[in-house]
Amino acid sequence: MRWWSELKYVVKKLNRRRAERELQEEIDAHLEMETQEKIADGLSREEARYAAHRALGSVALATEDSRAWWGFGRLEELSQDLRYGARMLMKRPGFTLVAVLTLGLGIGANTAIFSLVNTVLLRPLPIAQPEQVVTLNFGVPGRGVFPLIGYPEYTDYRDRNQALAGLAAMGMAPVGLSNNGINERIWGLHVTGNYFSLLGVGAALGRVIAPEDDLTPGGHPVVMLSYQCWQQRFGADPQIIGRSLLIGGRNYTVIGITPPEFRGTELASSPELWFPMMMKPGLEVGRGPLKGRTSPVSTIGRLKEGVSWAQAESALNLIAAQLGREYPQADKGQIVVLTQPGLFGAAMRGAVLRFTAVAMGVVVLVLLLACTNLVNMLLARASERHREIAIRLAIGAGRSRVLRQLLTESVLLALLGSALGLALAYGAVALAARFKPVFFGFTAIELQMDWRVLVFTLALSLLTGVLFGLLPGLQATRPDLIPALKNESTLGGYRRSRLRNLLVVAQMSLSLVLLLCAGLVLRGLLRAQQIDPGFNPRQAVEVSFDPGLQQYDRERGREFQRQALERVRSLPGLQATALTAHAPLTSGESGGRGIFIQGDEPKAATQAPIALTTSISTDYFSTMETRLLQGRDFTAQDDAQSPPVAIVNEAFARRFWPGENPLGKRFNFTTGKWIEIVGVAQNGKYSSLAEQPKPFVYLPLAQNYESKVTLIARGAGDPNLLTAAIRNEIHGLDGNLPLYDARTMVEHMDLPLFPARAAATALGGFGALALLLAAVGVFGVMSHAVTQRTREIGVRIALGAGSKEIFKLIVGQGALLVGTGVGIGLGGAVLGTRLLAKLLFGVSALDPLTFVGVTALLTATAFLACYLPARRATKVDPMVVLRQE
Amino acid sequence: MVDIPLKSFMRKQKDKPIDMLQGTLDLLILRTLLFGPIHGHAIAKSIERTSQDVLRVDHGSLYPALQRLERRGLITAEWGTSENNRRARYYRLTTAGRKQLMTETGKWERLTEAIARILSPDREEA
Repeated sequence: MRWWSELKYVVKKLNRRRAERELQEEIDAHLEMETQEKIADGLSREEARYAAHRALGSVALATEDSRAWWGFGRLEELSQDLRYGARMLMKRPGFTLVAVLTLGLGIGANTAIFSLVNTVLLRPLPIAQPEQVVTLNFGVPGRGVFPLIGYPEYTDYRDRNQALAGLAAMGMAPVGLSNNGINERIWGLHVTGNYFSLLGVGAALGRVIAPEDDLTPGGHPVVMLSYQCWQQRFGADPQIIGRSLLIGGRNYTVIGITPPEFRGTELASSPELWFPMMMKPGLEVGRGPLKGRTSPVSTIGRLKEGVSWAQAESALNLIAAQLGREYPQADKGQIVVLTQPGLFGAAMRGAVLRFTAVAMGVVVLVLLLACTNLVNMLLARASERHREIAIRLAIGAGRSRVLRQLLTESVLLALLGSALGLALAYGAVALAARFKPVFFGFTAIELQMDWRVLVFTLALSLLTGVLFGLLPGLQATRPDLIPALKNESTLGGYRRSRLRNLLVVAQMSLSLVLLLCAGLVLRGLLRAQQIDPGFNPRQAVEVSFDPGLQQYDRERGREFQRQALERVRSLPGLQATALTAHAPLTSGESGGRGIFIQGDEPKAATQAPIALTTSISTDYFSTMETRLLQGRDFTAQDDAQSPPVAIVNEAFARRFWPGENPLGKRFNFTTGKWIEIVGVAQNGKYSSLAEQPKPFVYLPLAQNYESKVTLIARGAGDPNLLTAAIRNEIHGLDGNLPLYDARTMVEHMDLPLFPARAAATALGGFGALALLLAAVGVFGVMSHAVTQRTREIGVRIALGAGSKEIFKLIVGQGALLVGTGVGIGLGGAVLGTRLLAKLLFGVSALDPLTFVGVTALLTATAFLACYLPARRATKVDPMVVLRQE
Repeated sequence: MVDIPLKSFMRKQKDKPIDMLQGTLDLLILRTLLFGPIHGHAIAKSIERTSQDVLRVDHGSLYPALQRLERRGLITAEWGTSENNRRARYYRLTTAGRKQLMTETGKWERLTEAIARILSPDREEA
């Protein structure tokens, strides 16, 4: 109860005026009583009054010491320090501005990257007890695991395991939604009936998909809408439940809306529509002739209460072994690995972890640079405040008390910096959100600044405040009092400058590493833009469509594609038009297929060399302006009835028939009919601009039907008019078929360059920031050095040194620092830039031009930072200096 | 070099005598209040009289001590009227104060006995 009475006391004394008055009155009363007593002893009133005062001592001291008990103690001291710190910061607005800006940039970069880490790795999914939910990955040891499995196998795991309270399956697929005359290809998720109950997710409106909606294949045309879909496409229509929607040419009844915060369990893919699994086209329900290899679904399970992660994993692996014995062809050697949901299983999780680690590393480096600068600035300031601190210590302030006050100042600076940093990060995140839709069509990654980000930033600013405040603080509170009070420069200053020199060297080397990385990536980008992708992206547009979304079967789909091509070709102003199943350099490129050559000895299919493939219409090569080096293009005669043919690229020909004429040679995809090579095309870039030439096979679309195709049209006109005209023609065939990814081929080329552009922007930005910080650091150190050496310089000039010698003296001191920093930085860069290899598009990680250029830039900037202080040094007037003694 | 003795000297001046006085004066005030609520002047007079003028209590130590004791909840204060019809603040011992007085008195007695034994061992024998 003591704290309670103490609190009552302090609160009562909060009314200072009243407390003062009462104390005064009490002391007055005491004095008066004493006086009365003295009068009674026979003194006159005046004498008595005087005697009382003498006996009772100083009233001022009594009130002063009494007041000390009214306050909040430490808390009051803190507010005193804060007020004093704020005054000191306001007195030096230039210093404060530079410090806050520096910190703001450093902390802002960290906050922005942390908000990404938070979204991707830390924020729990909006489901019931997310820590119990796991994703199952399947695979063979040594060949990687993927979170995909055939639907029939899923049912085996679901029904046989005892470790999971439930196991649900889901599969993402594009669907065509027709609404108010607008047809769009959006993403839908087919989920098993237990999906929503397993996750513990309810409906915001209506009801969720239940087990009874998932019984017979094709028999449950019901759909749930995501909250965002409902808001954006249907104007949050409250009457939507029970309405019928035309999806993929079939009517579905809307049964519910998902909660706004729920976007599915995978961050990289959030669906707009949820369907029962049984509505998935081509779902193979039982173990049929396809051996469970089709209809891959991903699975998500909830651990039973009290079952650990490891127990569940070993229980599931027992089932995997059992299935391997029962279905050796499909499941032999399969293992199960559990991962957290959200990042598409184990493979992507690793990549994301690596990426975020590198990004966090870079921004921490930048913050370290900013801190180094602040340490430097504070050290410089501490030597200016030397006298103030010496006086404080001399009149009895403890070292810890002064240190606390100095730290309060630096933490105050850090807090101001983090406020600016938060604002900057908020802007950066908003900017990043605007770029997102261009590159990731269906991602659910929404960067948000939630409380975790705020706590992180606050902790970071306190940490940096202490970090950059402690060292200067310790230095400042350890002066030799006597010389400081006598206003003499001391040897202590020498020790201080050694520390500052070290910091500048560190800064120089850090910023050199960052700048070199940025320079290399930029060079890589320039290089990438000159790389010949094997086609001409200028003056061409593309539009994608998929008749399968409208339930066209193979025959009708092929006819649709043929008619669409014919109609577009009839448009005026087009040089050439063609279809391809996989446009080059698109994300999600088709996987490779194994190749057998006719006449080679037979081997296992898993041993076959791999080549990428696509199916194309006629005129593809003239449309893309890809050179056909040998043989002929496909013609209308190459159809389903005629013998199978293929056009291969040079790399393919060279790989299998080096030095021979490949025309007329035959191969197949490890099974099936032999395919004859009728042409050879030039090499191109297929999945990345940085890749080495890869074997590639073009097949006639007429012989190898693929439902999803991209139409490419070459013409000189306005690309917008061109795409509009193409859209018109295709809609003339089917008004409900969604068209998507309509853009120019130049825009198409932005996609493969995006990672390098993002990296160059980020590294360049951070590198420039680092350079600026380092320049400020060098300038600060050199100016301070000149101030410290003023007397020496004065003496030198008095003894006859010319301004040239003085200039050399100062610049030489700077050059030593810069040279050391550059040396260490180059060493670090040689080790570090290798990590960037993937973004460099063939530029060497030790590219001499970049190394020389960046080093020159840095050195020039550093020289400039030395120049001004050196100039000042030459202007020292020896008379003024020597008279100061 | 020079600063270390200087600083520690100052600390001696500042801390040590006050430390001694603080605890002792607090104890004496609590003891004085044991007989019922009285005002500041009476407390000072009582201590002086009882100690036969060996101890003198001035404002500078009395009033901070009263604030301290009140803050720690050992005494309470309220306004009243003095014997010669003046407004005065009367201090009263709280239960916590009474308890504190007991323990502190015990401690003090042990301390003085111990010091006395060390300073004049011959008296012990007698």
